[in-house]
Amino acid sequence: MQQPTQPAPAVPAAKPKPPEPPPEFQEGAIATMDAAGLLRIVSDAKSTEFQKAKSCVRLGELGAKEAIPVLASLLGDEHLSVYARYGLEPMADPSADDALRAALTKQKGVRLIGVINSIGKRRDAKAIPALVKFMHGPDVDLARAAASALGCIGGETSAKELQAALSKTTGTTRAAVADACLVCSERLLAEGKRDQALAFYAALSATDLPKPVRLAAMSGIIREETLSVKPR
Amino acid sequence: MTTRRQILQSAVAPMIVPSLVLGQRAGAIAPSDKITFGGIGIGSRGAHVLSKLLNVEQARFVAICDVRNSRRETIKSTVDQKYGDHGCQMYSDQYELLARQDIDAVLIATGDRWHTPLSIIAAQHGKDVYCEKPCSMSIEESWALGAAFRRYNRLYQAGCQRRNGANFQLCKELLKSGALGKLQALYANVGPSVNWPPLPSRDWLAAEELPPKQVLDWDRWLGPAPWRPYHSSYVTGGWRNFYDFHGGGILEWGSHTVDLCHWAADYDDTQPVEYEPVGTNVGPYQVNCRYANGVKLVMRDNAWDGALKTGSCSFRIEGDKGWVETGDATRIECSDNIRPLLRPTESAALALENHVKELVRCIKTRQATSASASAAANSHVTCHAAFIAYQRGKTLTWDTTKHEFTNDEIANRMRSRALREPWRV
Repeated sequence: MQQPTQPAPAVPAAKPKPPEPPPEFQEGAIATMDAAGLLRIVSDAKSTEFQKAKSCVRLGELGAKEAIPVLASLLGDEHLSVYARYGLEPMADPSADDALRAALTKQKGVRLIGVINSIGKRRDAKAIPALVKFMHGPDVDLARAAASALGCIGGETSAKELQAALSKTTGTTRAAVADACLVCSERLLAEGKRDQALAFYAALSATDLPKPVRLAAMSGIIREETLSVKPR
Repeated sequence: MTTRRQILQSAVAPMIVPSLVLGQRAGAIAPSDKITFGGIGIGSRGAHVLSKLLNVEQARFVAICDVRNSRRETIKSTVDQKYGDHGCQMYSDQYELLARQDIDAVLIATGDRWHTPLSIIAAQHGKDVYCEKPCSMSIEESWALGAAFRRYNRLYQAGCQRRNGANFQLCKELLKSGALGKLQALYANVGPSVNWPPLPSRDWLAAEELPPKQVLDWDRWLGPAPWRPYHSSYVTGGWRNFYDFHGGGILEWGSHTVDLCHWAADYDDTQPVEYEPVGTNVGPYQVNCRYANGVKLVMRDNAWDGALKTGSCSFRIEGDKGWVETGDATRIECSDNIRPLLRPTESAALALENHVKELVRCIKTRQATSASASAAANSHVTCHAAFIAYQRGKTLTWDTTKHEFTNDEIANRMRSRALREPWRV
């Protein structure tokens, strides 16, 4: 049967040209510069914010470990901190972990939250003691970030600390701890620690926890208990 | 009156009161039985989706959150006019909207940078989500999205409405029935590059004076994207030209058409293992991909409506016995042997309406949607991987189990983007 023919949608004109970036905000040669050149830009006090930002990203892509100290020096910068973390987060070298951990005692407020987020992303287990302190500290935003990082790091130590924090924290911090516990449970499952993960899920089914967390925990239990490939 | 939520939360069966006793018209859906929606970041595309949602009798839109006051007021006006009341509440902080216990689901149509973080935050608040595509900004975000919706057991519907388009469904049916023979290749139109080239700019625009925060909250507009000085062009749609806010033409188009290829081939749980970029950033380009089973996926800049003029967002399936191709023009082109199997289909323009209805139906029944977070994660990872191969200018190989490139460490370092503090996924 012949298909009904409908008119094709109107062909839109090419979108209007965007405003032209000014010369000082064009990436230009930075896009193809080697690590040494990029490092010179980030280290040079005369370099602009834009030049440093673009160089940080590129240094991260290149994985230039020699840039780690310079990138770490920008972690407190209001505008460049995210670019510094852009550079540090993908670095394979463990000195990036050392630099981020060192920043835990140097940064404050939202910049410190950024550092904690990067530590969680890199799953740096050496940071667990410091993160536990933040989780139990008075700053709710820091506590929430620390809990989240602990969940990402996972492992038995994080699991133990998070489970303990469930009964010691309150309000939105406790909700973040519970969310982190869910993530940590998944980490335990991935490591083959099924019994520990299920016990964790059971603890998260307590009626005084936020409903989304309880439902997630129950779903986790059901999912695991009904997996035919892993009979209990 | 007992609400649907109170019924669900109560262990005691409630007294059933006929709706006619309550003065409702026969057959009408009680307000407490409607799925309530809030919206976050509703611009032109979001307004189009909203227009379909407002026509779904089982749904009720009750709140809008936006960083721009003009947007908030426009959406409130539209919604209130539709319902004939003043019930749509306005918010500038997404947490206030998400804290509302009476909201079941949210429609997210912000810029791409917010899609994954907001969707995950919504899931953490127990909400189901309809999110516009592209759904993620990186490979890492794609996996985080899929994991979060699995974790919280929430429903997610990516704005991949063509999965509910009859002409697209007929093409899939022809493959599944065996009429096309053994699958050989899938073609996803990722053009035209004149609109969004594969590589967006990494430049900044000149700084302009910031408007007052009550007019535009620039910090919240930027959200997880790296800081840059304000320019009005970004907030009026120009953000798509810039890498920090956009995943380039491959993701912009592939989130529609690679998604269709995955759906048609039942590849919603996998990704290609090889990505070969061809072409430059200024002309037609192509990324040739291959799945582990040998099937090819070709992402190609094939102009706005494809070489066969099947309309925007066209895709093509080739088997060893025949081929089909369709797009937003509804018409299906095919090999001669397939033509007798074609039948009239409704307009592709109805796909969005069907898609929104499907979401509401799924929320009521708790059945999975056709465009789940997991499916979106896999199709988006495919697009991101192709984008990275294009940026690297070399063929990349991908381990679908370890989720890493096997032949390029720089590519592996490009799998994620740092999020501006305090945001995280």
